[in-house]
Amino acid sequence: MAASGEPQRTLRRIPRTPVVKKERKNQLPYALAVVGLVVAIGYYLAAGLGAPKSAFVWIVGVALGLTLQRSRFCFTASMRDPVLTGGTNLTKAVVVGLAVSTVGFSALQLGAYFKAGQLADAMKLSSLDPVGLHTVVGGVLFGIGAVIAGGCASGTLMRMGEGFLQQWIVLPFFVAGSLIGAATWPLWKVALLVRTDSGVYLPKALGGFVPALLVQFGMLLALWVAADWWGKRGRT
Amino acid sequence: MQLDHALRDREPADAPTTAATAARVRWRDHETFKTLFVNPWTYTTGAVVLALLNVALMAATGKAWGVTTSVTYWGAWIWRSLSGDPHAWPYFAEVKPAFNAPGFSFWNDAGSLTNLGMVVGALLAALGANQFRVKKLKSRRQIGAAMLGGLLMGFGARLAFGCNIGDLFSGLPALSLHGWVFLVSIFLGAAAGSKLLVRYFI
Repeated sequence: MAASGEPQRTLRRIPRTPVVKKERKNQLPYALAVVGLVVAIGYYLAAGLGAPKSAFVWIVGVALGLTLQRSRFCFTASMRDPVLTGGTNLTKAVVVGLAVSTVGFSALQLGAYFKAGQLADAMKLSSLDPVGLHTVVGGVLFGIGAVIAGGCASGTLMRMGEGFLQQWIVLPFFVAGSLIGAATWPLWKVALLVRTDSGVYLPKALGGFVPALLVQFGMLLALWVAADWWGKRGRT
Repeated sequence: MQLDHALRDREPADAPTTAATAARVRWRDHETFKTLFVNPWTYTTGAVVLALLNVALMAATGKAWGVTTSVTYWGAWIWRSLSGDPHAWPYFAEVKPAFNAPGFSFWNDAGSLTNLGMVVGALLAALGANQFRVKKLKSRRQIGAAMLGGLLMGFGARLAFGCNIGDLFSGLPALSLHGWVFLVSIFLGAAAGSKLLVRYFI
């Protein structure tokens, strides 16, 4: 739906139901074979390598791919459609997802915090990364790339599974771009003033979980309201 | 005869002729099966399920969902197999020391496993819904778009220390400021990319 190779569609809202042009051969036997493969890899990880946690992560990965495909989820479209078509249904869904995971993550962080009263323990569960000019430059480049390539990081992997040949070309170049980024780190570290300790954990910066969560949910609510308004504005 | 016609309407390609195939068709047409595996879920359902899976990952491993760091590892492993020495690169020593840990491999890197799982899960979902189809490339421009877009995403994700998943879907809800900064940036990039797409790639 979001692939740039379907130009007649990219300018429209993403249709909610896929148009099945003709009935295809029953693919369920192949689906069962894939289920077998999933179980086999899970068994290899858990029993063969003795890493049940890896097996769990593997199953979650499969569930993520399944969910992305079933709900036609596309982060790129959630960013692009407000500009391109004025549609914001996907954007609002992303905001809802962010709110739900904020509840989950902050619960885990609070649990870690209350164990020993150390904010550092909570911070370990915060996916903390450096922030600065490089985040902006990287984010803009990533956004441009995702729209041109017809899918972001998750969308590329999902579409590979769905059979889009375009994304099978995107991945090797994604890998190459990543490698170039890692190889040139000494250059852009200086050029973009990266400080590896520049991560900002909101509860620490704002003086506690309560103000941090108030700001967080306030911003998410504002985003949702803005997206809702933008979507309705385009329709009337 | 009547029933046979009804079934033939649904399955013109391979009309069932025996009782066994008729039963299978009815099972595939069952409402529960259709709701779960054939009809698309709403975007909100998808978003909530993705969020819960991400929280489960964090609870089990202490690390949230991420995609691009592992893509970088893949590149580095390929580079190593071409007799390069990525382990000597300052990037991995200073930013991702996990890469140089002894015994670190594809099979114990959570991101590699979820990445592969995402491809397989999407394949499974497409097959289950009878929607799998190889979508061919339609033009030379599409190949150029794929190459350029892939490079930009890979490089951009390194600069930003993550992508729409690691930074946005995992960092932002985990109360890290870089998630919010990334959200604004990727939105600006997507807006610019939309203009480029319409102008040069369609």
